[in-house]
Amino acid sequence: MMSDAPQPVRVVVLGGGTAGWMTAAGIAKLLPDLARVQLVESEEIGIVGVGEATLPHIRGFVEKLGIDEAAFMKATHATFKLGIDFRDFGRIGESYIHPFGSFGEEVAGVGFHHYWLELARHGMARDLGDYSLAVAAAKANRFRPPSQDDSLGSTYGYAYQFDATLFGPFMREFGLGLGIERHEGRVVSVERDAVSGDVVALLLADGRRVIGDLFVDCSGFRSLLLGQELGVAWEDWTHWLPCDRAAAMPCTHATDDLRPYTTATAMPAGWRWQIPLQHRMGNGYVFSSAHITEEQACDAIRASAEGTPLADPRILKFRPGRRAQSWSHNVIGVGLASGFLEPLESTSIYLAQMAITYLIELFPAAAGQIDPRDRAEFNRLVDMEYDRVRDFLILHYNATTRDDSEFWNHVRTMRVPDSLADKLELWRNAGRIEKYSDGLFYDASWIAVYVGQGMLPERHDPRAAMIAPDALARATERLRMAVTGEVATMPGHREYLRAEAARLAEAA
Amino acid sequence: MSTPREPLRRVVVAGGGQVGVLAALALRRSLPECEVIVIGSQPGPAAFADWSPSAMPFTNKLHDRLGIAEADIITKAGGSYRLVTRYAGWGGGEQQGVLAYGEALDPALKTAFARDWGQVRPLGAGAPPTGSVAQVLAEAGRFAPPPPGEPTPLAAVDYALRWHPAAYRALLIQQAEAAGVRYAEGVIDRVEPGEGDAIRAAGLAGQGLIEADLFIDCTGPQASLLAAHPRFAFTDWSASLPTRHVYLAEPAAPVIALEDRITLIPAGWVTEVAGRDGLHRVLGTAGPLARAEAEALLGVPARAAIALTPGRAAEPWIGNVVALGDAAARFEPLGPLHLDLAHRQLDLLLEMLPGRAISPLERAEYNRRSGLMMEGVHEVLALHFAGIEAQRVFGARVLPGRVGAVIDQFVRRGRIPFREELPLLGQEQYALLVALGWTPGLPPAARHADAAAEARARAAFEADARAALAFAPPYDQWLARTLGANRAPAG
Repeated sequence: MMSDAPQPVRVVVLGGGTAGWMTAAGIAKLLPDLARVQLVESEEIGIVGVGEATLPHIRGFVEKLGIDEAAFMKATHATFKLGIDFRDFGRIGESYIHPFGSFGEEVAGVGFHHYWLELARHGMARDLGDYSLAVAAAKANRFRPPSQDDSLGSTYGYAYQFDATLFGPFMREFGLGLGIERHEGRVVSVERDAVSGDVVALLLADGRRVIGDLFVDCSGFRSLLLGQELGVAWEDWTHWLPCDRAAAMPCTHATDDLRPYTTATAMPAGWRWQIPLQHRMGNGYVFSSAHITEEQACDAIRASAEGTPLADPRILKFRPGRRAQSWSHNVIGVGLASGFLEPLESTSIYLAQMAITYLIELFPAAAGQIDPRDRAEFNRLVDMEYDRVRDFLILHYNATTRDDSEFWNHVRTMRVPDSLADKLELWRNAGRIEKYSDGLFYDASWIAVYVGQGMLPERHDPRAAMIAPDALARATERLRMAVTGEVATMPGHREYLRAEAARLAEAA
Repeated sequence: MSTPREPLRRVVVAGGGQVGVLAALALRRSLPECEVIVIGSQPGPAAFADWSPSAMPFTNKLHDRLGIAEADIITKAGGSYRLVTRYAGWGGGEQQGVLAYGEALDPALKTAFARDWGQVRPLGAGAPPTGSVAQVLAEAGRFAPPPPGEPTPLAAVDYALRWHPAAYRALLIQQAEAAGVRYAEGVIDRVEPGEGDAIRAAGLAGQGLIEADLFIDCTGPQASLLAAHPRFAFTDWSASLPTRHVYLAEPAAPVIALEDRITLIPAGWVTEVAGRDGLHRVLGTAGPLARAEAEALLGVPARAAIALTPGRAAEPWIGNVVALGDAAARFEPLGPLHLDLAHRQLDLLLEMLPGRAISPLERAEYNRRSGLMMEGVHEVLALHFAGIEAQRVFGARVLPGRVGAVIDQFVRRGRIPFREELPLLGQEQYALLVALGWTPGLPPAARHADAAAEARARAAFEADARAALAFAPPYDQWLARTLGANRAPAG
């Protein structure tokens, strides 16, 4: 046994929102011998808590913490999510689903979409989504977890849609069970080391002094430590992603259907979300305040709501961008304190969990031993993740023919980042996707948006034209029938949730 | 409305070694309407990829897709199996380590390994504990290729093939000819420029010009087509890779073994690849050796001495010329990375196969990804020369790219940062670093020892190893049986 066990690292998490409690719980659970976790939160400060839709990665995170899926879903009134239905983005009246899954399959080393483009040329292509099990199941309001073999039934993933105002408290409950020390109070000043500039302690309004070795800033947009105290610069991305407000207004369900997907409908100055939860429909308008007023947005969300409003519209303010460094000195930003990208692809919770995962991987070996190389590695990884998601979001706005408002005229004609411009050009010229295996959103996601928003390439792979069109049509038709056949065996989404709830009750 | 691109009508593959012939066969299989002509001759022994007697597991997948049967390589091309590579001398003293393929090791086992071996590694300890079923099999001399798709105890064991290069090439030629690939032998003596960056034709001495839409340069280190291009540029790796001289031994007595070896010696490094036609030894040194000196180190007569300047084509695809193998990247044959790289680049070309008109952005994307592949090889090689023992032999070298960060993360945290297009999986890189004598640090999450989980992982591993040993026949007997069954009846 090691007799000189290092002192545990005193971690102080500032902020009791979703990011704060996820961070505190993650560190406490996964680094029990290495860290002692304290969390400072204040009831005076509200929580944003809009992130209601998630990505499949959340399942890995929840599982790693040892949280039972069914119990977690019950507590947060969660539903299953197979993708996002994007409406009116490429053109008013058109829609497509961006699924957590693939379209068709590669044949002889050539991606399915090339064959689909070839079929389309002969007027024989059906909707691209007809060849995706996730899309077809979503449209049919059916759900079942994917199979574990390599059959058609394994070709998708899933995530959750949950009540964010319940998720934070759920994580808090879980974190408190892990022995996290909670301090209720407002931070009035920050004590720094005169020589190193590191943060030493947080001083609370009632005079308490919370000392730490490592501080995680989960204070939201205020970015109290990383932004305000350390002055780490903010890189603003408003020129590419102009939406900076949301008007949120939950409603009742308008119909009996329970969609296993989120809906994003393009609006004259942004888009609105509909996120079906077990007990209500999340509903809101993400908009650009440069293009419409808050009142106009509230009127629009009232007018478009399908169910009965459960509250008045609430305005949330945000700004897209990220800090130049997410880890500076001994302060790490997680969540909004380090960066923000609008929820168009439900990436908020993912981005926080990604940072938490990297922080745990690169956690200091002992108190006072932050290695600059680990900090640099953390910042490299976090920046890469943000930048790749950013480009993918911009695509949704830029790939459009909409010219019905000033907002759409701006995003349609704006100059996109070079990293995205090259991707667009490669797609236009050759129907190819720039490939990477790190980060988020791979081939199928890009293809879903390109094709879904009517941005077809000029040319596709010549090998797709080597099969006679009729033979190609027969082969893809067999695939489509296999998809519809598989969907027919799946239970309804609501039915599946009820069965799971019954199973849970029986087990308890 | 998207239309299919006008397909390539004719592709010329320059260089008729095993890289060129396989490329020609693959292109022909992809584009049956396209004329594919191999021109030039078989590159000499300085073209390491063309004379490599071995590849890595990726090649098995490529063979599969191209319809090249593994059984044919075994029965017709002197084929054999490698499960592991043993590294010796890189960590100093008696230290040895074994690199197996695949990503199979249980994290709990890895953690236990890092703790037992990394944190409290006994001074002067010998080999680290066995970490793969492949190693258990190799040491017991038991193996037979698992039937694909069946859940046998060997299903998770990844392997590489070896073969006799001339016989393998003959096998490929047979298939290429059957597929309709043509061959024009001769010396390439000129390149006719075409529009823009493209070339129009390549000339064969005394045979006139051969035009094509796309040219694949598999001519070996001289890169006859690519290097003739006015925009050709070479990225030099000399600062980081020290080997300048490579000595190839005449094959020694045949060896039936499931492992190959890579050993650091005071003069440089020696690789030993077991083959049914003989044991292939290669010696690499920084300075030149007299023939007798090299032969003394090799233990057998040398058949070639090759001088080497490591580096790569800054852009392996310029205009309508794409370089593969030693024409694209030049480096020491320290393990079977040459053919692996050539095959992965060929696979990338097949994925991104252009039409007659080539878009600059697809060329850029190909060059980006194949550049990552080449730099990945560069970094894996540089790992070999970063250790203290290797530096004693070769002197201190510059650590290229992220090599310094990888070693740092490994030593302090047992962490392998993800890297796109690397020739090794994370797990393989972990095993390589251990084999080279680096001691893994303990990941933060592993400080909380879960002895029960580690014991379970160890028990599961041992059960897997026992099942594999019970299932696999003695390798030499299996090989003899297989070859006997396939021998043509006498008469």
